[in-house]
Amino acid sequence: MIFERSKNGNFRFSRIHPLLGELLQAVAIDPWERYPDGSMRLLPSPGQSEDLEDLRLDWQDHVQPGLRHHFDLERAVVSEDLACMIQRKGKIPSWTLEISPDHSDAWLTTLNALRLALAEEHRFTEKDLSGKTPSDLETERGLALMQVNFYAFIQECLLQAIEDESGV
Amino acid sequence: MQGMNQPGLLEAPEVELSENLDLPWLVVVHNDPVNLMSYVAMVFRRIFGWTRERAERHMMEVHTKGRSVVWGGGREQAEHYVQQLHSFLLLATLEKSS
Repeated sequence: MIFERSKNGNFRFSRIHPLLGELLQAVAIDPWERYPDGSMRLLPSPGQSEDLEDLRLDWQDHVQPGLRHHFDLERAVVSEDLACMIQRKGKIPSWTLEISPDHSDAWLTTLNALRLALAEEHRFTEKDLSGKTPSDLETERGLALMQVNFYAFIQECLLQAIEDESGV
Repeated sequence: MQGMNQPGLLEAPEVELSENLDLPWLVVVHNDPVNLMSYVAMVFRRIFGWTRERAERHMMEVHTKGRSVVWGGGREQAEHYVQQLHSFLLLATLEKSS
């Protein structure tokens, strides 16, 4: 897979292996539907102390629905980009994905939400996520770990490109 | 937090007290094993308008100490910051200063 800036300024991932293409398509899934337990992490409490009970209730009623709506909107942007992925056919088929810089925040948020939901669902620890332990791809947990790490790689590419663009 | 690309840029973390920290409410960001270190630093810069150095210092404090106080002041503004941090999926809480 190659990551670069295209001539029109978009972030472009090309020569994406079909397997990784499938993993990318999975970014658009609704984490609340697919990982109901893991998705609890996406809407944390604003505080634990007793004197914040009123705030916790207010958060549940007003803030968390707004945040979930925000995450849904960001995921819709990602879905649109994924729908425009181009498949190159041939001996070695591959996919190309272009992301407008205007969509980079939506991608960072959506990738992060899915990584957090997956990690929570499978109870991944810091050690699991250190990259020192190979994923056991014969298990659902191992596949999930590979997904989390692959999405982290996509995030790193975008973050680095944003950093380069900002020039600071 | 998962690793970042440029660890060589970082000094040992120091506690940087904002001029507002003597006020009653604190915004605390907690460590989690998933958010990328580079992402956390970017979020701090976006929300608080910090320099890269300051953002990375607080990010490293979260990573090494498990938490970092990123703002202190009035409750309404503190709630606003926690909400913004949650919109970037960071684990942030509001605490009353002791």
